[in-house]
Parts: sequence; structure tokens; C-alpha cells
Amino acid sequence: MMARVLRQVERWYSIPLLLLLWQAAVSSGLVESRLLPGLGRVATALIHDTANGILPYHSGVTLSRAALGFALAALFGVPFAAAMARSTLMRNLFEPIFFFGYPVPKIALFPVFTYVFGIGSPSKIAFAYLECLYPIVVTAYLGFRAIPVRLVWSAENMGAPRATIVARVIVPAAMPGILSGLRIALPIAIIVIVLTEMIGDSRGLGYYIAVSGTRFEFANVYAAILVIGACGFVLDRAMLRLRRAVVHWERDVEPTR
Amino acid sequence: MKIPSAMQHWIVPLVVVAAWEGFGRAGLMPHYLPAPTLIVAALFEVAADGELARAAAISLYRVALGFVLGTGAGTLIGLGAGIVPGIRHFFDPLVAFLYAVPKIAFLPIFLLLFGLGHESKIALIAFSCFFPVFIASRHAVLAVDKHLVWTARNMGAPRATTFFRVIMPATAPQLFAGARIGLAHAFILLFAAELMGARGGLGPLISEGEDAGRFDLMFAGIVTFALLGFLGDRILMAVRRRVLRGQLIGTLEQALR
Repeated sequence: MMARVLRQVERWYSIPLLLLLWQAAVSSGLVESRLLPGLGRVATALIHDTANGILPYHSGVTLSRAALGFALAALFGVPFAAAMARSTLMRNLFEPIFFFGYPVPKIALFPVFTYVFGIGSPSKIAFAYLECLYPIVVTAYLGFRAIPVRLVWSAENMGAPRATIVARVIVPAAMPGILSGLRIALPIAIIVIVLTEMIGDSRGLGYYIAVSGTRFEFANVYAAILVIGACGFVLDRAMLRLRRAVVHWERDVEPTR
Repeated sequence: MKIPSAMQHWIVPLVVVAAWEGFGRAGLMPHYLPAPTLIVAALFEVAADGELARAAAISLYRVALGFVLGTGAGTLIGLGAGIVPGIRHFFDPLVAFLYAVPKIAFLPIFLLLFGLGHESKIALIAFSCFFPVFIASRHAVLAVDKHLVWTARNMGAPRATTFFRVIMPATAPQLFAGARIGLAHAFILLFAAELMGARGGLGPLISEGEDAGRFDLMFAGIVTFALLGFLGDRILMAVRRRVLRGQLIGTLEQALR
């Protein structure tokens, strides 16, 4: 019992320690409190703007945009990757676009997106879609390609019809690759939405941060960072859970922290 | 008629560019999508008076320095965290929380800390590169086959030799994987930070073109930015192939080359 408590303390002590140092630095007047507001002020900002609904509202906007872009990319990307893996023509046509386009910083295209889709939600969702599409397609494609042919042969040999092979062999075998891509894409969706909201919008956590920053209300900036961090953390954990439930036969794909 | 697959690779990009050019010439494209030939002409225009080279050099300086600092710190601390449990326990909770936060959210704070010049961008880029590199190197050290380390120690290798001759080579592939993600983050951060308040660099060049209604200039900046990101990735991959040349023998990657 004691040993377990000690282990938990050893694993998590750094966050409270740094918070303590933070507070000590502010209280002693070593750092300007405008730059580094005390923990009390961050907590007050967090509680205040949560209670009056401002933070929940902007979080809702950001999360729903990110979720929409991510979901569209997953719904289109996974079947597209499957088609690329199964058809030589599809592969030859689209493989260079995904593999050469992968390292291209697509953020540079965002100004164009604002012209094509307008400056509100649509351009941000479309851009999150594009940014998510690349990791989802590339990772799922590699997953579909890596399916051992003898699995398919065995199923065919035992007289399984085409639809059964797809549903019972190909999709489950590609599942680890598909889920890896989704896990990479999910934080990208949030990053991209917050970032584009900071560039220009009147809603969302990115806007909240940008406005608080220009008003020198840094307690609010930190409060928003806390909210985003918590959202990202929870979503990533949920993704891991999903992975463990769906790909239950593949143990320890990643050491748990 | 069967088109050779090497030519099929070019179909989609060529059709898109040709259609863009054709519709553009026919006046069917919106004004913010100038025809590719006009973009190339604008590219030559800004390249001729040295404006493009100046802007690209500034952007490159920011991204390269930030990337090197962030990747260096991420590698050192990540390897340290992999080897020393104390370092691991200190950084793990912090990274677990901060990893999910879009680093651009810290922009207001970095601007106040480091000013409006190069330093704030470089620091922010370094900050965002740190995380993927740290995670990759930390996991890589823990994944090193213990037998390799034991064997080296058993044969009397001192700690330093074990580190440089066993742990470093064994973790190098993952280090490069982390650095590649870091580089992608670096370019995203560079663009966002430059767009939201910077003097000099490709970001301001793009937004100036946009503000002046010179969309061909805007696209010239976008193309240059995308090219820089792409070339950066190519260079990193070339370095990787050189460093890992012994380890790639017999792998699929070498067989495909």
C-alpha cells in the first residue's frame, strides 16, 4: 500500500512541484505578475469564465469543428486508403499525391481556404479535414498493404464469399493501421482548429486565447491552455481505450504511461 | 491501351494543373486563384529583385534554429529520461499534459517573454519540436533490447561506450522518426507565428500579397513556403539514410530503392 502511494507520488510529483515553484516565484515578486499570474488568478479566471459559460461555449465551438473535420477525414480517408491498397490504378494515380504531399506544410494553403470557404467555420473544418486526411490515408494504406496474403487465401480456400473476406479478414487485419492513423490525426485536428481560430475568427478557444493575449489577460490564456490540454488528454485516452477494445488481440502496442 | 504506371503517377497532378490553367485563362476561376503560369511569373518577379530570397532566408533562419534547438534538447532530455528513472518521472507528467496543447496557444506568452523579433518565433518552434522528439527518444531507449546492453556491460564496456555504441545506434531510427514529426510541427508553427505578427519572412510576404489583392504574389509565397517544408523533409531523410546506412540493409526500405 505504502509502496504504491510512493510510486504514484514519484510518477506525478513534478506537476505540483512546478506549480508550487510558479506560485513561489509570483509571490516573491521575482517575475512580473503580469507575465506569470499567480495560480489563484488562473483558477479564478478558469472558474469565472466556466461559470458564466464563456469557456464552455468556445470549447464547444472548437471541439465540434475539430470533431467534424476529423470525422469527415476518417469517413472518406479509410475507404479511400482501402481502394488505394486494392487497386493498382488507384495506387498509381494517388500514391504520389499522398506520399509527396505528406511533408508539405499544408498550413501555407490556409489563406486560400479562407477565400474558397469563407472565414467562418467551413474553412477551418475543411482545413482540419485536409490536415487529418494525410496521416489517416497514409497510415491506413500501409495497414491495408501489410495484410498477409495467406490470410486472404485461407479464407478464399475455405469458400468465404468476397463480402465475408472484406468484413472478417481484411478490415480486422487493417484495424491497427487504421486506428494508428486516427490517433495521429485527432490531436492534429485540435491543433489546426485552435491555430486557425487564432489567425482569424470571432469564436472558439483560439480566438479566446488571441483576444486575452492582446488584452494582456494572461490568466485567461493559461486557463484556456489548461482547458485545451485537458480536452486533448481525455480524447487521446479515449482513443487508446477504443484501440484496446477494437484491437483486443494486439496487446501492448504501446507501453502505457 | 495500357498506360505505364510511371506515367500514371503524373496524371492527377497534370490534369489538376492543366484544368486550373485552362479555366483560369477562360476566366472561369475566381480572382483569388490565379492561373499557374501567372503564379510562376510572380515567382520570378519577386525572385528577381531578391525580395523572395530575403524573406525565405529569414523564415529559414527561424525554422532551422528553432528546429535544431528543440530537437537537440528533446533528444538529450529524452535519452536522459529513458536511461534515468528520476528524469523520466519528472518529465513524463508534464509532457503527457503539454503534448496535447497546440503550442501556438503559448504565442502571446512567448511574445511577451521574448519580444516581437526572431527570438519569440525561434523559442516557440523549439518548444514545439521538443515534444515529439522527447517522446520518441524516451520510448526508444526503453525499447532497446536489454540483452544488447547486458552483453556490452558483461564484456566490460564502460558506461560511455555502452551509450555511444549500443544505445545511440539502437535508438537512432526512432530519433529520426521523432525529428521528422518535429520538423512538420516547426513549419506549422513558423507559418502561424509569422502570420500573426512578424516582420520579414514568408508569412508577411503572403499576407502582403493578400492584402494588396496580388493573389499571384500570395501564391508565390505559398509555393515557396511549401517547397521549403518539402525540401527540409527531404534533407532530413537524406541525413537519416546516411546515418542509418548500416541499419537499413535487408529492410523493405532498402529493397524498394
